[in-house]
Amino acid sequence: MNRRPPCAANASPLLEGRGIGKSFGGLAALAGVDVAVYPGDVVGLIGPNGSGKTTLFNCLTRLDGLDAGRIHFKGVDITDHQPFQVARMGMSRTFQNIRVYRKLTVIENMLLSRQWRGARWPGLLRPSRPEVTERADDLLEFVTLVEQRVDLAGSLSWGQQRLLEIGMALMSDPDLILLDEATSGVNPLLVDAIRDRIMTLNTTHGKTIVLIEHNIELVADLCSRVVVLDHGEKLADGEVGAVLDDPAVSEAYFGRRGLNG
Amino acid sequence: MLEIAQRQPIRWLRRSGLLVLLVVLALLPLLAARGDGDGMVNNSTLFSLTQMLMLVTLASNWNFVSGLTGYIDFGHVAFFGLGAYATGILMSKAGWPFLPTLAVGALSAGAAAVLIGRATMHLKGPYFSIAMLGTFAALREIARVARPLTGGGPGLTLPPYLNRPLFYYLALGQAVLVVALYRWVRRTEFGLMMLGIREDEPGAEMRGVNTIFVKTSAFGLAALSSGIVGGMWAYQNTFIDPDIVFLDSRTIDMAIASVLGGLGTIIGPVIGAGLLYWLRDVVWASFLQWHLIVQGLLLIGIMLVLPNGIIGLLGDRSGLDPRRIWARRRKR
Amino acid sequence: MTEFGQALVNAIMLGGFYALMVIGFSLIWGVMGVINLAHGEFVVVGAYLTWFMNRHVGWEPFVALVVVIPVMFALGYLVQRVLINRIIDRPPLVSLLVTYGLAILIANSLKLAFTGTPRSVTTALSGFWRVADVTIPVVKTIDLMLALAMMAALSLLLTRSRLGKAIRAAAQNRRAARMVGIEIGSVFAVTFGIGIALTGAAGTLFSLTQPIAPFVGLPLTLRAFAITTMSGLGNISGALFGSMALAAVEVFVGTYVPGVGTNLGLVATFVVLVVILITRPQGLFGGLPPAEE
Repeated sequence: MNRRPPCAANASPLLEGRGIGKSFGGLAALAGVDVAVYPGDVVGLIGPNGSGKTTLFNCLTRLDGLDAGRIHFKGVDITDHQPFQVARMGMSRTFQNIRVYRKLTVIENMLLSRQWRGARWPGLLRPSRPEVTERADDLLEFVTLVEQRVDLAGSLSWGQQRLLEIGMALMSDPDLILLDEATSGVNPLLVDAIRDRIMTLNTTHGKTIVLIEHNIELVADLCSRVVVLDHGEKLADGEVGAVLDDPAVSEAYFGRRGLNG
Repeated sequence: MLEIAQRQPIRWLRRSGLLVLLVVLALLPLLAARGDGDGMVNNSTLFSLTQMLMLVTLASNWNFVSGLTGYIDFGHVAFFGLGAYATGILMSKAGWPFLPTLAVGALSAGAAAVLIGRATMHLKGPYFSIAMLGTFAALREIARVARPLTGGGPGLTLPPYLNRPLFYYLALGQAVLVVALYRWVRRTEFGLMMLGIREDEPGAEMRGVNTIFVKTSAFGLAALSSGIVGGMWAYQNTFIDPDIVFLDSRTIDMAIASVLGGLGTIIGPVIGAGLLYWLRDVVWASFLQWHLIVQGLLLIGIMLVLPNGIIGLLGDRSGLDPRRIWARRRKR
Repeated sequence: MTEFGQALVNAIMLGGFYALMVIGFSLIWGVMGVINLAHGEFVVVGAYLTWFMNRHVGWEPFVALVVVIPVMFALGYLVQRVLINRIIDRPPLVSLLVTYGLAILIANSLKLAFTGTPRSVTTALSGFWRVADVTIPVVKTIDLMLALAMMAALSLLLTRSRLGKAIRAAAQNRRAARMVGIEIGSVFAVTFGIGIALTGAAGTLFSLTQPIAPFVGLPLTLRAFAITTMSGLGNISGALFGSMALAAVEVFVGTYVPGVGTNLGLVATFVVLVVILITRPQGLFGGLPPAEE
């Protein structure tokens, strides 16, 4: 594995959430979770269904309001930012139940995901600039969707839509990418392609990545660190091997608690 | 390459057809002037065409917001009303000449839309629609109450000015300009952002689109144009009161024209407005008191039978199926 | 003090009317998910029906309820069967536009039938009581009592009867209700009938306090919407509370802000409504369905 070495502990985190709490109608989805992601990391976020992984993503990208805690990104407190401001700062994400613009073409989806920082009124009143279109085309090549360039995004297969989302997440040249189940429901051939792309992003392009993933093999393969959530609480956080061997983790993850009572 | 070559003649046909139509529309008043009211094109035809062109503009404005961003505005006539009152008040009370009042009307309608939009455009789906309906009803009440300024219920009378060709050319010019502008905007990054909001607003927001800015800007632009129509309408009508200006069936006209032609397309509202006027003038002109009843039936009928509009019948699916709005993403 | 007492009495009376006016709207929205923009027009139809019985048959307006309630029930049943049933599973925009079309249709048909001239009913009960300089009109008192009685009856119907159980089941889960053998189409039609019957009854009360004209429906629809978003769907006690609150806002603004009259009440209502919807999208007391997702 030519994985980047985990960053030295004395570096300051790229993204840091402290005491993040969120509940829906009295049900605590997150109960005071701390996370820190360092530049260059690939962090796996795992846990059983309903453990709060996607909610954590929604909180980090500021889609969901927090009930408690603060979030810092690049040293800036983004707790009171709008989602679009966070995106413009260089955090992008994909979604568990894919959110491509289904009635727009693949290339339009890409152009619409460009870095909008500094975009103002008169400048917006013209078609996408050549450099943006070029970038979109390059990235379509990267996610192997060149042939589908002018197809409607809704007509792509599920796996291709996942790839398109990854391409869209890259359009803004983010520093941090949050991938929400990037391989679920995708056929095995494409899983390999996606795994390959994620690795390239980290090693060659130096992107920091957090991924929610149910495929433990993939997590072990890609990630330098793993965070385990269960019932909205952080169960474990550390080196991949150590965490995956932790009996408490496998208990939570494979639900033995339920069997033993 | 082959595809483009095949499509070339169609595009050429469409363009030359459009050009011929524009030339005919531009020359019409000359016919009217010669016929002295008796010819094929008389003054009342010209009046009716002017009304139609105003509806083309209004429907395009409505569709620009509701068809492209998916925010269905039930109170758009409010901005028409602000323009009408700006012209009415400035001309009858302050003695202003006509054209500057149009600028004031446009700016106040646009500014009002930006202010109102900053609040209401946080609302989603039907809540936005009905909040706008409320805004419209509220403005009508304000126009009734603010008697010293607006003349209240009895209304305001403007200096009469019966130059039909002038209004006709103003309406034609605005309609052409507005449709061309929207066609252009749709192809720009701004237009792309509007479509993104229509398709998936939270997704767009999380990809860096300042959705509230895009929505309110589009809203302001459309309202600005509707304000101008309002001013022209007021001067042409020479009389305004709260009920004929803030007329809810005018918003419905815009919606019917858009949906009839093809919601979310640029040419749809133009076709729809033309068709609606033709129906009104030719088909049920003799049942004048029935026309609003027919209108209600038409709205119900279109929603049940022809949701993609005329454009949809012709095979163009680039628009917005009204049955699709607010229907997506049921699960969390 | 007298002024305050009078305003308070007026607000309570008006609130009673609003409450009866709003529960039909709230019931239909809550059970069927249809925001009925023709709601105010049904109030006006009820009012015209009352006026007709009063003027041409010579009945006391309150007695006309005997005719208004069954006729409006039948009308509601029919409209649901013919129109609403076809669009019930479609997204809200379709029902919104269709019911808006229906509103235009009804209002203009009324104008054709009764002209635009405002109509008023005559009643023998035009007296009033005076309590410590505060005027309490007999008619409005009966209005309030009737409204409360009808709301209590609806509440009993929904909680105690088999029909009520079927309605609530259909409201909670359409598909499940269908599977356990509830004939959903007729449950919805009956619900719509009940909602419109109550709305028509509100029209009778309306006819006793205000002049009737074809186009007074829209503000009523808007108020019904505002109250329902405040109080939550199908919530009868919430609707009563919301109605009283709205009536209080309108009456007190009308009483204490000079030169305004009650017209601007609607404006105040909408400012309040938009603020509530922005800060609390689930409604003041919860239970408001999200617009999407």
